[in-house]
Amino acid sequence: MSSDIALLDPGHKAAGLTATNVSCWFGTKKVLEGVNLDMAPGQVTALIGPSGCGKSTFLRTLNRMHELVPSATLAGEILIDGVDIYRGAIPVTDVRRRIGMVFQKPNPFPAMTVAENVVAGLKLSGMKVTRAERDHLIESCLTKAGLWNEVKNRLGDPGRALSGGQQQRLCIARSLAVSPQVLLMDEPCSALDPTSTRRIEQTISEISETVTVVIVTHNMQQAQRVSHRCAFFLAAENEPGRIIEEGATREIFSNPVDPRTNDYVNGRFG
Amino acid sequence: MSENILSEGTPVTSTSDVLTPVVRRSRADQIFRGIATTASVTTFILMGLIGTFLLVKGYDALRVAGWSFLTESAWAPDQGGAFGVAAMLPYTVQIALVALVIAVPVALCTALFITEYAPRKLRRILTAMIDLLAAVPSLIYGLWGLFYLQPRLITLSKWMADHLGWVPFFTVDDQYGTSLGLFPSSTFVAGVVVSLMVIPICTVVMREVFSQAPAGEREGAMALGGTRWGVVRDVVLPFGRGGIIGGSMLGLGRAMGETIAVTLIISPSFDAKWSILDQGSNSIAALIALKFSESSTFGISALMAAGLVLFVITLIVNAAASTVVSKSRSGASTEI
Repeated sequence: MSSDIALLDPGHKAAGLTATNVSCWFGTKKVLEGVNLDMAPGQVTALIGPSGCGKSTFLRTLNRMHELVPSATLAGEILIDGVDIYRGAIPVTDVRRRIGMVFQKPNPFPAMTVAENVVAGLKLSGMKVTRAERDHLIESCLTKAGLWNEVKNRLGDPGRALSGGQQQRLCIARSLAVSPQVLLMDEPCSALDPTSTRRIEQTISEISETVTVVIVTHNMQQAQRVSHRCAFFLAAENEPGRIIEEGATREIFSNPVDPRTNDYVNGRFG
Repeated sequence: MSENILSEGTPVTSTSDVLTPVVRRSRADQIFRGIATTASVTTFILMGLIGTFLLVKGYDALRVAGWSFLTESAWAPDQGGAFGVAAMLPYTVQIALVALVIAVPVALCTALFITEYAPRKLRRILTAMIDLLAAVPSLIYGLWGLFYLQPRLITLSKWMADHLGWVPFFTVDDQYGTSLGLFPSSTFVAGVVVSLMVIPICTVVMREVFSQAPAGEREGAMALGGTRWGVVRDVVLPFGRGGIIGGSMLGLGRAMGETIAVTLIISPSFDAKWSILDQGSNSIAALIALKFSESSTFGISALMAAGLVLFVITLIVNAAASTVVSKSRSGASTEI
């Protein structure tokens, strides 16, 4: 109900996410411990840290993708605008529609055209739109993702016919089409060339007015360029990952409190 | 025009400029290569041998019958009469189609349930059960079908004849009205029993392919707020198209060749007919099994010729299926 209204209401607002004391396990192995993080509405939060420190795992708890892995469990609480996404009244499909996700590897649906890929989310969640609304949605989402000019004459091509960078922007457009309030991005540029990366960073700063963005990145320059706030994750050997430090991006990079943060952001390890 | 990268920009003038890489294979590699090659060549030779054998053995009968072998429906080679597969062949196809019409939807839903919906524990149990069903000998299916299923199934046959008689396949001509005695030993009953044997095979193939649907696409669909059915429809089924067709064709091949269960159930008929519900059916495999022990040399030659027809048709079906499958994504090497 509410999601249908959100879809057709262009004035829908970015939502804030709050994680309280989140811990994660795969089987008996604890991979994340006691994470507290506030992701303010309309802001870009970057999750940084070396590989294997639980950033992506944490990201996947934020829209309930974590639980799709067999044997994965978690504890703690995650609220979207104050409503619990795990125990609250919001169905899981609505949680994932309101909190979208862009993956490390572009994953457009190969059996669909460019245009069909953009509106795939509507079909997947059983929402009906008129033809005019559909066409409008395709153009506006591709424009927001910075792809419209490149593909407006190729809307009928298969999604896989685009280049890697274009595919990733297509995936962003696809996520935006269901009007998410939060967009999670798991190293969205790690498989892309510098030009495509710049294009996607531009898109992120453009959409962040209406969508809260949480981005995992290994690229320190990227974190500095796109994010308002940063959270530094670290896992000591044989221990679960924790947040070492979080705060305004400028502070984290210029004046970190913890020496480990200082070492990491200056490229001394990781 | 291709350019030789080793020629540093100057066009290749003679073939002597082209480098031929020398490949020295290790001993283990050579041995394994030999074994693998031998094994694959053996299957080809085996196919050829079977085809040749049937052709040679059936040659006498085919020379006498000529093309009428495909158009004659009687079977009296031992009595010096006419013989041909014009009745057996349509019956064989009918039985196989009845089996597929039942088996494919059931197998498709079972495979989807196992890969997409079942909790993990149940998934393991179901998979084992299906494998077990595939291992039950067809004689057992035949006996069970004959003594248990058939007496119950003919009630359904009668109901279909009474209420769906306007469908050409279900029309039963009987001036005295329909009675239960009309319906045993029919194409329908044989087809249902064969479908039970085909379901596990189809399910195994489909389940295998569905479980290989790329995780990235599944997650992409989930992350858009997709329902389970949405993921099945937009990711799993398009990806699994090749497996669905491949599994069905494998089932079709099995259904056409099924012998003992069909032999037990049908009462042989040598007049082809559209209706599948009433008594009397036939199949090439059943014919061969029934007549083999009581035929003269010439009669056996005729049976071999019938076997050749079945062999060729099965080959065509499988070749067609593999073409379709190799053109689909799940059939070709999986790209993620």
